[in-house]
Amino acid sequence: MKALVMASMPLVALAGALSLARAAEGDAQKSGQQLFQERCGACHLEGGFGTRVLSRRVPEGQAELEKREVLPAALTTAVVRRGIGSMPQIREGELSDADLQAIALYLEKGS
Amino acid sequence: MIVLDANRLEQAMQRFAAIVGEEHVWRGEEAQHGYKDAFAPRDALSYAPRGAVAPANVEEVQAIVRVAGEIGIPLWPISRGKNFGYGGSAPRTSEVVMLDLIRMNRILEVNVEMGYCVVEPGVGFDDLYNYLVDNDIPLWMSAPAHTWGSVLGNALERGVGYTPYGEHASKVCGLEIVTGTGELLRTGMGALEGAKSWQLFPYGFGPSWDAAFMQSNFGIATKMGLWLMPEPEHTLNLAMQFDRVEDLPLGVDALRPLKLDGTVQANPSFGNIIRNLAVRAPRSAYYQGTGPIPAAVLDQARVDSGVGHWNFSIRLFGDKAVNQINAEKVKRAFAHLPYEFEVSEWHRGEPLRGSGSPTPTLGALGVVDWLGGPGGHLTFSPVSPFSGAEAWEQYTTIRGMYEDAGFDYYGGFTAGQRYLNHISMVVFNRIDADMTDRANRLFSDLIATAASKGWGEYRTHTLFYDEVARTYDYNNGALRRWNETVKDAVDPHGIIAPGKMGIWPRAYREGQ
Repeated sequence: MKALVMASMPLVALAGALSLARAAEGDAQKSGQQLFQERCGACHLEGGFGTRVLSRRVPEGQAELEKREVLPAALTTAVVRRGIGSMPQIREGELSDADLQAIALYLEKGS
Repeated sequence: MIVLDANRLEQAMQRFAAIVGEEHVWRGEEAQHGYKDAFAPRDALSYAPRGAVAPANVEEVQAIVRVAGEIGIPLWPISRGKNFGYGGSAPRTSEVVMLDLIRMNRILEVNVEMGYCVVEPGVGFDDLYNYLVDNDIPLWMSAPAHTWGSVLGNALERGVGYTPYGEHASKVCGLEIVTGTGELLRTGMGALEGAKSWQLFPYGFGPSWDAAFMQSNFGIATKMGLWLMPEPEHTLNLAMQFDRVEDLPLGVDALRPLKLDGTVQANPSFGNIIRNLAVRAPRSAYYQGTGPIPAAVLDQARVDSGVGHWNFSIRLFGDKAVNQINAEKVKRAFAHLPYEFEVSEWHRGEPLRGSGSPTPTLGALGVVDWLGGPGGHLTFSPVSPFSGAEAWEQYTTIRGMYEDAGFDYYGGFTAGQRYLNHISMVVFNRIDADMTDRANRLFSDLIATAASKGWGEYRTHTLFYDEVARTYDYNNGALRRWNETVKDAVDPHGIIAPGKMGIWPRAYREGQ
């Protein structure tokens, strides 16, 4: 294979992969569910570090955020920006306000 | 400490906003909480920054640096800010504006024939991994225990991974630097306009500066060349666990000749039992008392969990036939120990998990929940000679100090070619004032005791830069004075990361 040179390459994130690393320029075309899975999934899907830590603290069946019965958007937003427990804060430079809002609303409504 | 005048700060923030856009500058609480040390051993806001600015490209970095120099506003550059246990994204002092390079996240080049990449600071390990896998590129990166952080930032902090390319700093080849006056320079062969070997020949002509921009505040790295390992045909893993704590020296001495002669090219890590238990369950699952877990309880946990007092893997990378020969050599070197290796193999084409190629993970962060949290950790990282006797003395000394201070010893020894990085973590609950006081005191005591025995740290937490820097005191601190001379020359305004690694610009030194 010849040398591969990209002057400006958008980074592609896999669903469920660690993708908090991506730029936070906003991803308007993606749904809250997609954003949650891409940006939060490494920790907060089944088997993730965040799910394991939460399972020690919340009622059974509530550790996976997508399965949480009640999760107000304001709580998600505050926790992401300030951090809580073992979870470090995620700053706006990493995750735009618009993307965070979409994720928070998805978790609040479950759709 | 130089306190930033509020009017001057606001003047700078407005100028920064004109460069990057108002949406990429942050002030007040937003900046403080965005960039605080998430696992702080003391009030996180006491060393959180006054503001932050996130440029999108090199030209914006240069413009910001020029404004900062003109107005006299110190900047604290970070790549991604995931240096957890060493201060995370937090600066040394709150009187700075963060220069957040996370938006500069392009993988500029991957050269398959020559085996390297060129990345910007905001590129994470998971980004690079995904890019290599998605594009079916037969090169492997090396990564530290968690993959959230920056490829560039980790290499420049001399982070460690677990492939043959695991000594990341040694695989850096060519940097682009914005200087303290906003100029742009390229190191090594990159200093030649149109150079064809910037990422191939690391030294250039004349003094070689790549290393001087590592763990330093002499400039701001905006591009980095990094060598990547050609995907091997085969890997062979030999895993062993020791039932007895006191077998550590035997393991270290068995491994040394294999590292010295190159039989083992990766960096095996002897991890202690708590490092292993902590990823499975919190401490309360093993012990509910206070103080360090008693030896008998720990031994029962070892039996119940099927782990060792020390656990390590020696992974061989390369051609299958060669790996098999080397595996026999490894087995012979450890044959006098009363344990067997558990052997597993990977062949090219099989799923990468289990191959030794690092896959995205945040699992290592689980340690912060060891005590039930909200947790934090301070990472103590002295270097040991690659000798069983030396490692044992360091281990017993440091473990004893942890336990005297009421903490469990969580740690391990990661093998370089002639040294061991002895990395341990003081894990504490952030809201327990007594515990954080003890953690801070222990950390200072560890630094002092280690120095008295000739052990220096290879890296440390932001809050302890000065204490560690002072231990490097040969000839009345000749190296510190040299660093200060360089600092004053290359950053005349004293605006790049004041206090990083204990190197303070002149104005701060005179003010102290």
